[in-house]
Amino acid sequence: MLSRFSDVLQTAADVLAPPATKYEDFEYHWKMIVNFYQAYDETTKVHIEDTRVPHHLHQMFQLIVDEEKEQQGGTVGPCLEAVVQRSIGVLDALAVLAVTDRPPGARAMALNLATTLLRRTQQPCLNSVHVYRPLQRMLVQCNESPASPTEKEEVELLLTICGLVRKESGLANIFTTPFIEDRISLMSIPEDIQQLIPVKRKVNKPKKNPLFDVDMTPPIKMAIVRKDSFNNSAADDASVKSQKTVYDDNDKFLLIDLLLSYLNSADNQVVLRACEGIMIVSSLPEDDIANLITSCSPCCETIVDKLCTKYRAIPNDVDPNDVDQLNITWAYVAQDFGDKSYNKFHGYRELTSFFSWLDYCDTLMKECHPTIAAHLARTFRSNFLEGVESWLLPASNNSSFVHQAALTTALLAKCLRVIDSSDLINEFSNWLVGDGEVSEWPLLLALINNCLTEDYDLTLETLRFFETIIERGTEHSMDRIVVSRVISRGYYSPPGPATVDTDERDRLNDLSFGRERDRNREAMKQLEHEDAINEQISDILSHEGLDNKEQGENVENIHRVINSFLLVLPRALLSDPVGADYEHYIHDAQRHYQLWLDITASFHWPSEPNWMENTASSTHSYDSRPEADFHFSAFDTLHTDTKKLLSKELTDEDQSKAQSTDKDVKDDVKSDTSDTTDKRIPQTIEDEFDEGPFFKMIFKLLSRMPDQPYQVNLHLTSIISKLALLPHPNLHEFLLNPNLPTSKNTRTLFKTLQNIARRLTLEIPRMKNYKKIIEDTRQQLMSEDPSYDISGDHNELVESLIVLEEFCKELAAIAFVKYQHILHMHR
Amino acid sequence: MAYAYLFKYIIIGDTGVGKSCLLLQFTDKRFQPVHDLTIGVEFGARMITIDGKQIKLQIWDTAGQEAFRSITRSYYRGAAGALLVYDITRRETFNHLTTWLEDARQHSNSNMVIMLIGNKSDLESRREVKKEEGEAFAREHGLVFMETSAKTAANVEEAFINTAKEIYEKIQEGVFDINNEANGIKIGPQHSTAGGAKAGGAGAGGAAGGGCC
Repeated sequence: MLSRFSDVLQTAADVLAPPATKYEDFEYHWKMIVNFYQAYDETTKVHIEDTRVPHHLHQMFQLIVDEEKEQQGGTVGPCLEAVVQRSIGVLDALAVLAVTDRPPGARAMALNLATTLLRRTQQPCLNSVHVYRPLQRMLVQCNESPASPTEKEEVELLLTICGLVRKESGLANIFTTPFIEDRISLMSIPEDIQQLIPVKRKVNKPKKNPLFDVDMTPPIKMAIVRKDSFNNSAADDASVKSQKTVYDDNDKFLLIDLLLSYLNSADNQVVLRACEGIMIVSSLPEDDIANLITSCSPCCETIVDKLCTKYRAIPNDVDPNDVDQLNITWAYVAQDFGDKSYNKFHGYRELTSFFSWLDYCDTLMKECHPTIAAHLARTFRSNFLEGVESWLLPASNNSSFVHQAALTTALLAKCLRVIDSSDLINEFSNWLVGDGEVSEWPLLLALINNCLTEDYDLTLETLRFFETIIERGTEHSMDRIVVSRVISRGYYSPPGPATVDTDERDRLNDLSFGRERDRNREAMKQLEHEDAINEQISDILSHEGLDNKEQGENVENIHRVINSFLLVLPRALLSDPVGADYEHYIHDAQRHYQLWLDITASFHWPSEPNWMENTASSTHSYDSRPEADFHFSAFDTLHTDTKKLLSKELTDEDQSKAQSTDKDVKDDVKSDTSDTTDKRIPQTIEDEFDEGPFFKMIFKLLSRMPDQPYQVNLHLTSIISKLALLPHPNLHEFLLNPNLPTSKNTRTLFKTLQNIARRLTLEIPRMKNYKKIIEDTRQQLMSEDPSYDISGDHNELVESLIVLEEFCKELAAIAFVKYQHILHMHR
Repeated sequence: MAYAYLFKYIIIGDTGVGKSCLLLQFTDKRFQPVHDLTIGVEFGARMITIDGKQIKLQIWDTAGQEAFRSITRSYYRGAAGALLVYDITRRETFNHLTTWLEDARQHSNSNMVIMLIGNKSDLESRREVKKEEGEAFAREHGLVFMETSAKTAANVEEAFINTAKEIYEKIQEGVFDINNEANGIKIGPQHSTAGGAKAGGAGAGGAAGGGCC
C-alpha cells in the first residue's frame, strides 16, 4: 500500500520538478525494495506476485537495459556502475531471494530476472565480482535443493551464462578453482543484505550435488600460488585469460559441474537445456577450457555413465529385429517424450532414450573441442563398450546367453550404424578389431564364433554386425579383418608340374563326359544357354564400347571372369535362365563401387597385388602408380593355362565332380574345425593358405548355404559382395578371379561356390517335381511377402539355390564394373 | 489434442531478424518489442487445419548467433520444414543466406521444405533489400518466398501454413517416408483421429492410421 502511495507521490513530483535521471529512478526502486523487506512480515504468506517487489526489480533492470542503449563506446552507465561497484546490492538481494524464497515465489522470480538481465543487456559486466558472485551463489544454492520446482528457471540461467561464456571465453575463469575455491566467501552473504533478508542457517548445508564439493581448506601451497595470479579487488577484470593450462586434480569447473547435476532431472526439458549448455561450453575453441573440462570435471565420465544406465534399462526381452527401426535425433526427443502414446513396441521408450543419448554423445563429439572428443571417445570405449563386451563372450552355457548375445549384437550394430563422429567410429572399430595378432583378439574371435553357433538368430545378428563393421570400416579395421592375411598373397600358387597334371586329367575327364553329354538333350540346352550367356556378355561389353577384337586379351579375360560366375550353376537348375535382371546388378554395382572408392580414397592401399609379407605392405602405400594398373595386372594374371578351357567345360567339370561333393564338403568342415593355431606352424608354399579367422568363417558359412535359412544366406552374400567391391588388389583377385592359380587346398570364393553348386546339382534333381519347386520358391522370394518369412514351410535347399544364382550374377556384375572403371580411367 | 499429422519445423537465420517474434506472433498472436537473446533453442506449438485435417506444428526457434551454431545444427536433422529468415532492413542478414542454406542442406534430410522469409516488412522506410531480390534468391535456390511482419502479423500465418501445405503435398506425392521419424513427420494417434467429428478428418484418419504403429 505504502509503495503504491509512493509511486503516486513520485508521479506527482515528476509533474512539478524535472524528471529524475535514470540513476535516481534506479535508486528510488531499490529504496522501495529495501522498505518492503524492512517492513516484511513473514506470517502474512503473501505471494511475491501480489507485492510490488517484482515491479521494482523489473524497473531497475529495465533502467540498466535502457541506459545501455544511450551509452557511447561500450562505457558502463551509472545504474550498472552502481551494481558493479555494489553501491546498490540488488544482485545480492536477488541471490538471497532465490535462496530464501521470501515471499513465496521469490526464487523463480529472482532466477527469471537474472536471466532476463543477462539476455537483454549487451554488456552485463559478468566479469565483475559483484555481478558473478551473487549469480554463482544463486546457482549453487538453488542446486542444493533436490528436484526443486524451479529447476527450469535454474537451468535457463545457467544456459544463459554458458552463452555469455561462449561469446567471451575468458569468463570461464570465473567458474574455475581460484575463483570458487573459497566456499566461505563464495557462499557468504554480505552483511547489509543479511540484515535485510535473514537467511535461515540450514540452507548452508548442501543436501545434494556432491559434484559441487569445493574444498573448504584447500592445500596451502595451491592457495598461495593462486593468490599471486588473482587479485580479489572489485575492479579486477576476471576475464583476463588464465595463465594456467595445467590443472590439479582438486581443481573444479563449477559451470560444467552445475550443468552435469541437471542431467539427472526427471524433467526432459531441463535435461535438454543442460545438454545444450554442455555442448556450448565444450565447443569453445580454447585449449585450456577443453583441458579444464576433461581433467577438472567428470563431464565425459558422467555422460558415458548415463549412456550405460540407459543401456542397462533396455528390457532383456526386446526383439532384436525392432532395434533397427529406430531413427532418433537427440534434440527432439525431450518433446516427444511428453507424448504418452510415444511407445511403438515393447522397450521402445528405453531404446529411444538410449539411442537419443548416443546421438547426443555423437553430436557432442562432432561439435566439441578435439581434446574433449578424444577423451569422450576413450571413455565411451572403456566405460561403455568394454562393459558391454562380456555379453558377447560365451562365458557359460547359460541358456539366456544366445538371446542376450543376439540383442547385444543388434544394439551394438545399430550403435555403429548411427554414429557419425570420426573419433567415435575409430574408437569403436579399434575396440572391435583390437591390435596384435588378429587370431588372439578375444572379442573379434568371439564374434566370429558367434556367427558359427547353432543358433541362427545369433548368426544373423552377428552377420549384420559384420556387415556394419565393413560398411563403417576404417583402414585399420579393414586391414585387420579382411586384408591382413591376403596381403601376403599366400593364396597364389604359380602353376607347377603337379597342377598341369591335374588339369590334364580333368580335361581328359571332361572329354569323355563331353561326348556322353552331347547325346543328352538337356546338355544341348545347356550348350545353347552358355552360348546365350556368352552373347549377352558380348552385348554388354560392346555396349560399353568394348570389343573382343579391338581390346584383345583384357576383354577376353573379363569375358571369361563373367562367364565363370554366370555359369557356376547348370542351366537345368536355374530359376531365371534368361538372367533378366543382370543389368540391374550392374547398375547397383556401379553405384556401390563409387561409394567404396570414395570411402577408401584416403586408405593407403596398394595398387597392385602384393607379393610381400604383411610387414612390408606399407611400402606400397606410397606407390605412385595409378590404382588402375593393378586391375589390369589382376586380370592379366589369369592363368594362361586355363585359357584353353572354355567355360562350358567348367560346367562339365561340375557334373563330373558332383559324385564327390559330399566327401568334399565333409573334408571342408573337417579342416575348418581344426584349431587356427595349427595353421601358424610354418608351412611350405604348397600347403594350405591360412585365410585368417574371418574368411575362414565366411567360407565355412558359405559352404553351409544349402542348410541355412534364407536370411542368413542373404546377409552372408551381402557381406561378400561388399568385400568384392573393395578396391584392394589382393582382395580383388582372391575373391573375383575364378582363374587365379592357387594350391589345391587353398579355399577361394569361386571354389566354394563351385562346391555348393555341385551339391545342389546333385541333390535338387532328386526332388520330385523339382523344376516346379524352384519356380515357386523364386516367385515367393521375389514377392517379398512377409507372411512367407514367418511360415515354417521353407525349402532351404532350393532357397539357397536361388540366393546362389543371384549372388553369382552380382559377383559377375561387380567384376565387370570394376573392370569398366579401369577402362574409363585409362581413356 | 488429436491430430492427423505432426510436422517439425525449425526457424533459422541471423540474430535479430525476428525469428522469436515470428514464432510468438504465430503461436500467441502477440508481438514483443523487447529483444531477448535466444540461447540454444526455444519451442512453440500450434494446431492448424489443411485440407480438413488437423495438423500439429511443433516449431523450434533457434539462436541466430554463431556461438550457438553447434546447438542449431542438431535440430536440422529430423525437421520437415525450415523458415529461413532475414531482415529486409539489414542487408547483411540477406547476404548470409547462402551460408545458412548450405548449413541447412548439409545437415538436414534432402526433402526438407525451406521457406524464405523477409521479415520486418512494416519498416518500409528502412528497407535495404528489395522484394525482388528475395524472390530472385528463392527462385534460384528452389525456395518458397514471402515477406512478413511479425509486428503487424502480416503474412505470418501464411508463412507457417504454406510451409505446412508444401510438406503435406509432398506426403501426398509420396516424397516423404512418413514412417521414418527422421523426416520430421509423425502420424497422429490412430483412435483419436478416426473418431474425429469432421467427415474429411475421419477419412484421413483411417488412411493415415494405416501406416501407424
